[in-house]
Amino acid sequence: MSNIAGKAYAMNVITPIPWYKAWLNWLIFKAALLVPNVLNGLLTLSLIHYARWVIIPKGKFPHLDSSQPKEELKYSYMLFFSNFNGSWDQYVDSFTFAIPSGLDLFWKMNVRYPKSVPLTPFHNYIQHNQIDTSHYYNAYPMAASNDVKSAKNVKKALIDFNAASSNKDPDEFLKDYNNLLNNLQHDFGEMSHTPIVSLAALAVKMRHAGAHEKSHNHLR
Amino acid sequence: MTQNLDLTDIQGNIVKAYGSFGFFKARYLFLRVDNGDKGRDFVARITSKVTSAERWSKSSAPSVTTNMAFTYSGLEALELPTASLIGFPEDFVMGMSKRKVILGDDGPSDPEHWDKIWQEESVHIWISINGKSIEDVEERYQWVSKQIDATGGVSLLKGHRGEDAFGNPSDDLPYQDASILYDENGMPSSKEHFGYTDGIGDPVFEGQTNNEKRVIGRGKLTSEGEWVPLATGEFILGHLDEAMEYPHTAPRPDLLSNNATYMVYRKLHQNVGTFNKFLDEQSKVFPGGKELLAAKFSGRWRDNGAPLVHTPDEASKADWDKKFAAADVPTQKKMLTDFTYNEDIEGAKCPVSAHIRRINPRGSLEYGVKGAFNTPGALVDRRRILRRGLPYGKAKDQTSDDGNHGIIFMVLNADINRQFEFVQQQWINYANDFKLGNDKDVLLGNHSAKCPGKVVFEVEPGSGKPPHFVKNIPRLVETRGGDYFFIPSITALKMIAGGIIDPT
Amino acid sequence: MRFMDTLNIFLKPNSSGNATALTTLCPIMNRVVDGESSVDITRERCLRLPIHEESPLAKVPNTYLARLFILDNVFYESLPGGDSVFNFSEITSIFSDKARLGALPQKDQLKSKYLVFSSNFHGDLDAYLRGMWDKWSYDDNGQQRDVRYIWENCVAFDGVTDSSSFISYMKRCQLNSALFFNGSTDDSLQEQLKALYLKQEFSKFAAANQGKSAADLQEAYKAFIDQVQPSNLSGPSWVPGQCEP
Ligand code: HEM
Repeated sequence: MSNIAGKAYAMNVITPIPWYKAWLNWLIFKAALLVPNVLNGLLTLSLIHYARWVIIPKGKFPHLDSSQPKEELKYSYMLFFSNFNGSWDQYVDSFTFAIPSGLDLFWKMNVRYPKSVPLTPFHNYIQHNQIDTSHYYNAYPMAASNDVKSAKNVKKALIDFNAASSNKDPDEFLKDYNNLLNNLQHDFGEMSHTPIVSLAALAVKMRHAGAHEKSHNHLR
Repeated sequence: MTQNLDLTDIQGNIVKAYGSFGFFKARYLFLRVDNGDKGRDFVARITSKVTSAERWSKSSAPSVTTNMAFTYSGLEALELPTASLIGFPEDFVMGMSKRKVILGDDGPSDPEHWDKIWQEESVHIWISINGKSIEDVEERYQWVSKQIDATGGVSLLKGHRGEDAFGNPSDDLPYQDASILYDENGMPSSKEHFGYTDGIGDPVFEGQTNNEKRVIGRGKLTSEGEWVPLATGEFILGHLDEAMEYPHTAPRPDLLSNNATYMVYRKLHQNVGTFNKFLDEQSKVFPGGKELLAAKFSGRWRDNGAPLVHTPDEASKADWDKKFAAADVPTQKKMLTDFTYNEDIEGAKCPVSAHIRRINPRGSLEYGVKGAFNTPGALVDRRRILRRGLPYGKAKDQTSDDGNHGIIFMVLNADINRQFEFVQQQWINYANDFKLGNDKDVLLGNHSAKCPGKVVFEVEPGSGKPPHFVKNIPRLVETRGGDYFFIPSITALKMIAGGIIDPT
Repeated sequence: MRFMDTLNIFLKPNSSGNATALTTLCPIMNRVVDGESSVDITRERCLRLPIHEESPLAKVPNTYLARLFILDNVFYESLPGGDSVFNFSEITSIFSDKARLGALPQKDQLKSKYLVFSSNFHGDLDAYLRGMWDKWSYDDNGQQRDVRYIWENCVAFDGVTDSSSFISYMKRCQLNSALFFNGSTDDSLQEQLKALYLKQEFSKFAAANQGKSAADLQEAYKAFIDQVQPSNLSGPSWVPGQCEP
């Protein structure tokens, strides 16, 4: 089990929400996408690759055939999945300190949601409702979402430069090249291993050894 | 500033950086408790001379101070009840050497290369003596030695690397000495071994000072762009912290943890020869010259600590110097600390990777998106640390790394993991918060021959100039030892000594 | 915001540009064979999947980040209540203990356990699921496993025999996102990996060639471009799940 794959952490949270509030919450999510600036703080935090909220209305758990008993639940449920960079504490604290009202907006209808400030009840709430991941895969363990975005920048700039300037006279070339570096000056961070945020002994070893350490035997 | 602190109960080294009160000499002792009863007797005796945080007037200032702290195993050896011990946080319980993967203590910084004293797991008590002169220190040291002999339940641990009284190298010294450095005329200076002016920026918290001017550039930044003191609980247990909560790192009962804090003690060796060689080599290819390059590493000019954001080139530096020389002391202090990086989000003046900008980004993590966060310092205010400590040793040969010289670096904070370890790991040895991938602090990163460091010094965007790459950065600072300590209040010291800590 | 974008918030809840979110909850059979339940077997198989480059998900085209876990039950909210909303029961419970108990959160129990698969990927769902069926494979101590090995203990999975029945099975288990937040890009994975490769290599190049004369630099640059082939997605790049620089 690991919630960590390279620089990404997988968070899963499931929380009950009264059915009659669930649709309101759904509307809030849609509004967040429609109204500019609501997601500003989240974008500036820039700790997330992808995240999503899913609402399972009461009685809408997948039911496949008659061999499966039908769920009889009193609540609707909200699922939150995040792929973030950094440690659990850093992530949850950043939310609380940087964008508390945004968080409250998304969760406030949920049963016993304590609000994101103060910190401890919020910590406890997330911890109480979090489910660990059994297998987590990340296509780029050495890249944070910042790096993926920056790389896109670099690729485009390099291809454009190459088309426009590679065959110019050396002096012109140099001038354009320097301009290119100037435009990309925040995009040259090196990408390497993630800092170790969990001291679970085997996990540390595995992450150090990287892929070449076979993970097959760790359940024996 | 509404918070009233119980200054007579708080140990003095928490509130005061003794160095700035004229205590230029220090000696750090480490002891093992061999017997609980006798050990507590020893604690009682030392407590009688422990210096509190009480404000000093000219006449009441002592000439020597004494402070005391404990490792987790020290508190076990002093027989604190399990119900208290169990309340300490994981980082403190584990101790520094076991946290090496988090701290980046690898290669030459690996605990296996630390001073001998750290090779055994028996450091229990830390005692610091700070004096105005070495004679003051020596006298208090003799007094402590007497208490050791008299009680018989503790041993002074040897095993520090350094030079003995006759200047001969030794790896088995009974204490660690530290001292400010003196300039070529023998005058006291605030320099460290790489030649930087140190000891300028330190956080200010509620109750520490009544002088609002001292908060500028040192407290926390509000949305209105003002500086206010940080919450006391960021640095002292039992007080509200920036989350408006009492720190969770406090063990029970309250009387054990109120007015206490955690201390990180780290002996950092400075590779002076490598630093000088590196700086010389790199300045040949850096357009702004050697001193500007050195300033880009740290964020301040070496000679007087002028902040680079206000003095990005020779001309502005010359202006600043003139004003600085003419200013009175309070104005000088303001000139040194009153700045943010908001007019320099791109880092063209002070690089995003400069030591002081990494370690205290002063609101720049909003990246100029005003109002994106609750407050501009939302990601910084819970990561501040109080720095204490002094240089040790002399770098006699400026072309060599050999010998024993560096900084006895001490950090005080309420939560070692959230504050010190976070800064050390995420901001010194990593840079995702600055969108710079794995790039490390030039001065402090754990660069190695296999993975030499690299940073980019930004230039004015749109200027057509290329940024400057500093590459092949070698390891400039190495860890030589250290541990995590708990600094109790004076009340708690007395209770520990009396064996009357009782959390039920 | 353009009209189509606005509409897509409602019509394509699992998309953010070309990035797609897939959430499936597949019920696991309630069965015990030889002392092992279907849930235990499934969980163990998930836990033992090889990681990084060797994960079967590294072979599934366009997977950015994905995870598997088992939802055993929902949680009872035995947490202190918030005081932010006026609650009628707070008044009534002064008079009756029954009202006080009634105000506690209700207890829910799941009847099935669910295999949760959550993926973030590039492109169209059908193509992605087909990729899962076709490409998912890994070495399990000498045995080659396909996607059925993880899902075969799920309810009604025995009806899955080919890619199209797999696609429709997964869609029956799918839940829509209320909000899909994309803090990254929506490019194809190949595009992202190539970009990361270029970023890393170009950073090294720029640092190594600092200060060269115009002519030397241009020559070195051309050699660099020949080597990295910026526009060639099947040229040098990072591989999915690569964890060594
Ligand atoms: C040999 C090791 C070190 C050297 C030579 C060094 C040097 C410096 C210098 C020259 C300054 C600027 C002067 C000042 O603002 O006081 C500074 C500031 C600072 N350093 Fe270091 N430092 C070292 C280790 C560390 C470590 C390990 C940390 C933290 C983990 C650290 C944290 C800080 C902080 C917090 C500041 C103040 C920044 C501000 O508030 O603006 N230093 N250091």
